[in-house]
Amino acid sequence: MTDMIKNSHGISDTPEEREFELRAHIGSIWSGGRLFIGMYTFLLASLVFSYFYLRSSNNGLLWRPDHVTAPTAYGWAIYSLTLLAVLMAIFGQSRLRKGGVFEWQTAIWVGVAAALLALFLQIYEFTAVPFYPGSSGYASTFIGYSVINILTIFIVAYWLETTVARSLRMNKELGGVNSQLSMHPSAQSFRANVASMTYFLGFVALASTLLFAMFYLL
Amino acid sequence: MTTSVEAGVEAPEPPAFIDPRKGAGGWLSQHVGTAIVCGFLGYILGHWLGNYIGSAYPYIANSGQNSLTDFLALLFMVTGWLLGIGALNYPLAKIVGREAKGEVQYTGWTRYFRYNLDHKVVGIQYVVGVLLFFFTGGLLAMAIRTELLNPTVHVFSADTYIKIVSEHGTIMMMMASSVIVGPLGNYFVPLMIGARRMAFPRIEAFSLWTFIAGYFVIFSALAYGGFPTGWTGYAPLQTQAGPGMVSYLFGFAVISVGMMTAGFNLAVTIINYRAPGMTWSRVPVFVWSIIATAALLTLASPVLTAAGLFGLLDKVDQTAFYVTEHGGSSYLWENLFWFFGHPEVYIMALPGFGIVGEIIPVFCRKPLFAYRIAAAGMIGVALLSFFVWQHHLFQSGIDPDMRPLFMLTTELISIPTGFIFLVGMGTLYKAKIRYEVPMLFCMAVYFNFLIGGVSGVFLSDVPVNVTVHGGFFVLSHFHYTIMGGLIFAFFAGLYFWLPKMTGRTMNKKLGLWHFWTMFVFFNLTFFPMFVIGMLGQPRRVFTYAKNLQTLNDFSSIAAFCLGASFLIFVANLMWSQFIAPQKAPANPWDSLGLEWQTATPIPAYNFERIPVIMTDPYHYSEEGAPELADFGHDPPVHASSFTARTDPNQYE
Repeated sequence: MTDMIKNSHGISDTPEEREFELRAHIGSIWSGGRLFIGMYTFLLASLVFSYFYLRSSNNGLLWRPDHVTAPTAYGWAIYSLTLLAVLMAIFGQSRLRKGGVFEWQTAIWVGVAAALLALFLQIYEFTAVPFYPGSSGYASTFIGYSVINILTIFIVAYWLETTVARSLRMNKELGGVNSQLSMHPSAQSFRANVASMTYFLGFVALASTLLFAMFYLL
Repeated sequence: MTTSVEAGVEAPEPPAFIDPRKGAGGWLSQHVGTAIVCGFLGYILGHWLGNYIGSAYPYIANSGQNSLTDFLALLFMVTGWLLGIGALNYPLAKIVGREAKGEVQYTGWTRYFRYNLDHKVVGIQYVVGVLLFFFTGGLLAMAIRTELLNPTVHVFSADTYIKIVSEHGTIMMMMASSVIVGPLGNYFVPLMIGARRMAFPRIEAFSLWTFIAGYFVIFSALAYGGFPTGWTGYAPLQTQAGPGMVSYLFGFAVISVGMMTAGFNLAVTIINYRAPGMTWSRVPVFVWSIIATAALLTLASPVLTAAGLFGLLDKVDQTAFYVTEHGGSSYLWENLFWFFGHPEVYIMALPGFGIVGEIIPVFCRKPLFAYRIAAAGMIGVALLSFFVWQHHLFQSGIDPDMRPLFMLTTELISIPTGFIFLVGMGTLYKAKIRYEVPMLFCMAVYFNFLIGGVSGVFLSDVPVNVTVHGGFFVLSHFHYTIMGGLIFAFFAGLYFWLPKMTGRTMNKKLGLWHFWTMFVFFNLTFFPMFVIGMLGQPRRVFTYAKNLQTLNDFSSIAAFCLGASFLIFVANLMWSQFIAPQKAPANPWDSLGLEWQTATPIPAYNFERIPVIMTDPYHYSEEGAPELADFGHDPPVHASSFTARTDPNQYE
């Protein structure tokens, strides 16, 4: 066998074995991203189920008494900022595909800022809801929604920030400009991660729209 | 942007996950000791913070019970535990853009006390973890049977008794969810698919340490005064219960995160890391069972997380998800809990089927009968398990007109389950069986599961269900399926694979003693409970009618003997592995499985060359059967043989 290269275990790998490992790794990022969406769907579906279950039960006519109103201004702000973060990620990816690394990084930083602001607003809203959490079915599910939304936006912010931080460090480590576009395994892994992240954020946009409509508009 | 990789032109290094440095850092680095210290400090911090925050909110401060404090103490304890063991090192390093560094590969016994990324070490750690759960739950079972020796003379108060029952049930169910997937799934799946590693080794290790943290959280319920709801945690009792309920809810949520991550990693590994040539029709049946289970773990567990979260919010933030008087509904918990809870039954059962399907061809020296039907049966069970949860609500919370539908779906699931059973029977048919210890355990699985399964078909019928609901009949049924099926399969797997895992052979005589005592006393313990249930004894009650004492005493004495049978296993383990270890032959059972074809002890990288799979591993006693795999392919197999599955272009 030729072109053998030692791996981290001190074992000599063939180029084919290295390529297999790399492709399996990249495939894992791809399928892991999709599976994560499946997992998150079931988490959100539990909330949606609870909402409609309690709404249709309307026990003691306490689904949503008149005085229980959601703070709509906060809702709009949180939703818009989340959507902005997602749109930035989608726009950024389209630029990255065309070689625009700097545009991608700029878009992602804007997305991180939007997500962090949304996170701050969501936490603030959670601590200052204008109704007693146990006053009705709606009030309870709204609190549940707030907690899950905090988690969702945190994941969005974390994923965006760690990806852009990685891309900044990558130039330093790989010693070149726009090394994110190179054939280096780290760069390939990075691009697969960007693709998975953008796909997940697209899902977040859809889910956020549905939940926003349920809790603020219906 | 071009992303294609030309084979042979470029030889990119795959991302490393293990650092070849040996043992750097020693006891100053992170290990179980630092995890315990950080967990303890986290507990104190969370407790203080809970009191501080709670005092600012009148509705919490005036509730008479600051569950926020209990919750934050446990939350910070788990966070501290994970921080102390090193589970959060990488997520924190990512914030400044660092790529995953190879972890230091510790050698010797200290590696079992650390956050280790080798799936084989994690598998062994899981063995210890599940045995910790199992023996704790087992001791509580002994306490239950002691109380039931006499209907009028009591060892415990009624309140203490129900709390012991609840703790027993919860610990055992959480143990059972991971008893095979954790130890044997993590250890053997990569070996069986010809992989050198897991897809996400950090997530795998995270699942283990979260699982262990969940044990401490659920066990902490006893220190908080326990919880009186049984393992099902039904509202409104849940809402009325004391602080121990917070441990139950949070413990379930923590363990569900461990289950999700374990399933996630296993599913992705099986999809992506199968060796070249390992097509779906060549995947070992145990791996089929694990991927079906992984799908259930990944999709059903989030519902448990959500149910636990809502319950915690009811306790901590005074919401009313499960409080009917405030616009919530106690039935909401039942729906969410059982939407997870019934797939959970198959999360427990499927890996057991997988183990048995994997082992019996070895001892029958016959190919697995109707392999494809076995695989299809497992997928069928996994799919249908999402559509049966309402049968747990036949007695409550369901429109009576909906009962026939869920009766039908429940009965339907017995069809793919029956397929799997018949695959076993077909393999046993006319076989010259070698009655080694693992095989005996497999035979016992069929015997026990037949009783558990048939009683389950009865229970799926509404009239029977309504009649025996909440009694010992149901209790006996699920012990036959879970303990009689899963735990026997776990021991079958342990006896079968321990020689590979440790390189040391188990003592056969002690193994036979273990099997026969466990099998006999298991049946003597639980079969009378069918009768006790039919005669009307309810579950979770510390007294009963005087005329049932003889049967209960019989069952209790058998249970004590059953408990003692596990001591034989422990003695065997100690004797065979530590006191008088005997080197195991390389392939003591003459198995064709891929996991047996690598060296013992298994090197960190599993296979020196990535094997190229030629056929499935069940060609026993077949003349002219093809070789299982090429382990040293020369010239190397071209990467194009598997590009169809892993073309990187499709991911960008």
